[in-house]
Amino acid sequence: MAQNCFHCSDEIIGKGIKFDDKVFCCNGCKSVYELLTTSSLNSFYSIENNAGTKPNTLEDNRFSFLDVPKIRTKHIEFEDENSVRLTLFLPQIHCSSCIYLLENIQKLETSITSCQVNFAKREAYFIVDKNYPLSKLADLLASIGYTPNFGNRSENSKKQNYNYLYKLGVAGFAFGSIMLWSVPEHLGIESDNTNFMAVTSYLTLLISLPVLFYSANEYLISAYKALKHKNLNLDVPISIGIIALYGQSAYSILSGDGSGYMDSFAGFIFFLLIGKWFQRKTYQSLSFDRDYTSYFPVAVTRLNNSTEEIIEIEDVEVGDTISIRNQEVIPCDSFLVSEEINIDYSFVTGESIPVTKVKGDFIYAGGKVIGKKTDFIVDKKSNRSHLTQLWNDFSKKESVVSTKSDKFSIYFLAALLVISTFAGIFWFFWDSSRTIEIIVSVLIVACPCALALSKPFALGNIIRSLGKKKLFLKNADVIEKLNETTDIVFDKTGTLTSGSGNNATYEGSELSAFEKEALLVLANSSSHPLSKSIVNHFLRNGFHSAWNLTEFNEKEGEGIEGVIENRRFKIGSYEFIHGKKIDVKNATESYISIDNQPVGKFTFESEFRDGIITALTKLNQTHSIHVLSGDRDKDKIYLKTNVPGLNQLHFNQSPKDKLNYIEKLEKSNRKCLMIGDGLNDSGALEMANCGIAISEDAFRFTPSSDAILDANELIHLPELLSTSRFATTILKTCYIFSVIYNIIGLSFALSGLLTPLIAAILMPISSISVVLISTLMARAKS
Amino acid sequence: MGVIYLMLIVSLIIALFFLFSFLWATKNGQYDDDYTPSVRMLFDEEVSNETNKNNSNGNSEV
Repeated sequence: MAQNCFHCSDEIIGKGIKFDDKVFCCNGCKSVYELLTTSSLNSFYSIENNAGTKPNTLEDNRFSFLDVPKIRTKHIEFEDENSVRLTLFLPQIHCSSCIYLLENIQKLETSITSCQVNFAKREAYFIVDKNYPLSKLADLLASIGYTPNFGNRSENSKKQNYNYLYKLGVAGFAFGSIMLWSVPEHLGIESDNTNFMAVTSYLTLLISLPVLFYSANEYLISAYKALKHKNLNLDVPISIGIIALYGQSAYSILSGDGSGYMDSFAGFIFFLLIGKWFQRKTYQSLSFDRDYTSYFPVAVTRLNNSTEEIIEIEDVEVGDTISIRNQEVIPCDSFLVSEEINIDYSFVTGESIPVTKVKGDFIYAGGKVIGKKTDFIVDKKSNRSHLTQLWNDFSKKESVVSTKSDKFSIYFLAALLVISTFAGIFWFFWDSSRTIEIIVSVLIVACPCALALSKPFALGNIIRSLGKKKLFLKNADVIEKLNETTDIVFDKTGTLTSGSGNNATYEGSELSAFEKEALLVLANSSSHPLSKSIVNHFLRNGFHSAWNLTEFNEKEGEGIEGVIENRRFKIGSYEFIHGKKIDVKNATESYISIDNQPVGKFTFESEFRDGIITALTKLNQTHSIHVLSGDRDKDKIYLKTNVPGLNQLHFNQSPKDKLNYIEKLEKSNRKCLMIGDGLNDSGALEMANCGIAISEDAFRFTPSSDAILDANELIHLPELLSTSRFATTILKTCYIFSVIYNIIGLSFALSGLLTPLIAAILMPISSISVVLISTLMARAKS
Repeated sequence: MGVIYLMLIVSLIIALFFLFSFLWATKNGQYDDDYTPSVRMLFDEEVSNETNKNNSNGNSEV
């Protein structure tokens, strides 16, 4: 029976560590438990299940760069003679237990005065003693499982923009007040008291000024810009309505006829701004605009005649010798000085099997060092490297101001002009004194306010329901981009294939159950990606293991060995097992020996995600599918035979090829949806009409994109796209309703019966019903 | 009917008070994080071994 770790809830493989009647998977988890219980923070485990996160085993001095004065000042926000205040991004924050632990962190370390968590942003605000080194704070956080992420400094310091809330507040204030003051007028109370009427109407005029010039300015400016560029958008008829409404009311106030339609005007702006606010669903903890710098370490160690100094990435010069630790990303194109290392290029290519490099090899930036600390000689500065060049040269996708005019607005304006002209001509002959009044009231009721409201609510609801399905959109415009997609371009490695693990297959002599369990325990002791694949292989086949590893030895870059029940197991390279070198082209093999007898080997292959073939087949019926891959074409036949009609497969594609491919498609008027995961797709993701970044962990490494999709949900892409298309259906329904309301309103206006009271009733009813319809339809769909 | 002018002024003052409280609260980040405070208030103060159970609120001042 498999047991789970008391702290991190992972399955325990091998003999767990017993402590305090509880079992732990590793020493890290045990020591966190010990630390928390001795500091009487036991509630951490009782608030929520699965609260713990496995602490990373980090090398010492990993955060020592924080103590370098120049870098330190960049990370702190405020400092006085006693304390330092700073905000750290802790992506591992995931539940209420995390909040509890972090906000009580002063019990673990008395130098920390207080900590306040912002869950939505995954940030924590610390006040610490001035003399407490920040590197120790980071070490402490890492040791309890919350490793701070210093990658996206620029975004963390970005100030929030509250303007839209201010505008909403001002409009709400005016709406409420004007409504209140209009009650006597609408009910006919005090109608003989002309003084009172004059006071309320002038007050009304006064507080409606900020609504027009502050709250509603976005609509007016947008309409003005569109007209200036000889375009039309929905803001044009809205602005005409706003101005007609305001002008008529201001006129009637100044001429002493009461407060006109000011309550409808303020209410209309208020509802419009609520729509804007609702549409603004943001995922504060995700960042969609990362550039290459957020992948690289903040600082590196430079070796200078046997002395080490920590410097910022920007200060690294060509020819410097830098030293990169285990699990850190190489920031510059450089030459390897150390003997032999493994480099994991999964951020770049999506391929998780590490590549072995030897002394003197040229190393591209973006790889992660696996194993011991390694030295490099810098060949190009960080911002000149192969990878970042791609970024700098091509990522400048000019923000195109949509030049295509809104078709609907054209029809709308044409109808509006025709109706008001005819109304004007008719009334001119019927009762010429009322011509102007009728034309103005036509313009007032024709204002497409229900229409303007339906869009933000429909899109806002769809964004929320997609977010629940783990497709996080950057903003509401992405829905329209998704819906106009004609071609879907997939990256293969890490997108169609699984990025987290590789399929391990065993070849060799038959192993007994004990031997398999022993190999599972041994492989679990190593953090090498191939060992993890071997562990997954056994776990998937239903093996659990509680054997105790009595001796363990890991040789970097070669293999691991261990003793279980007095038998010696080894997993490693050919040389490690057989004692001699062979010239292997394909490095993705692990050999096994038991009691120094070679028994067989594991081979590793990237595997396609479960269900991806079905998803591709479905998508192929509605879109044109392309697959681009940086790999050799070994999977071409597999994809071709399994997905009928899939012909556009391109292999051996460099990042630049991918970019050019998308550019070519876009130029031939196709709308591309690019789906990729690695940094090498970043150019293509930017170039495409819409780019979705696939991520196993949405808080970490995603290239800049329009949307982020959880990797496990990729197989549901057809359903996600259909949800997004449903937004159009909702919009159409709302359009029908809004046309009905306009017809009712117009019939009042044309017959000369529109009064401020009727407008005050009709306007909120139409707005609220449209909001209800779009919300209910989106709910029903999800 | 002079009282109605008084009420008019009072209603305006109250509404302005709420408007400025809203703007002030927004500016101070009151609406930035709508989740953490809801959890924070549910945490009990630790009953430590020395039996000094006090209900002082240690987190709110920043």
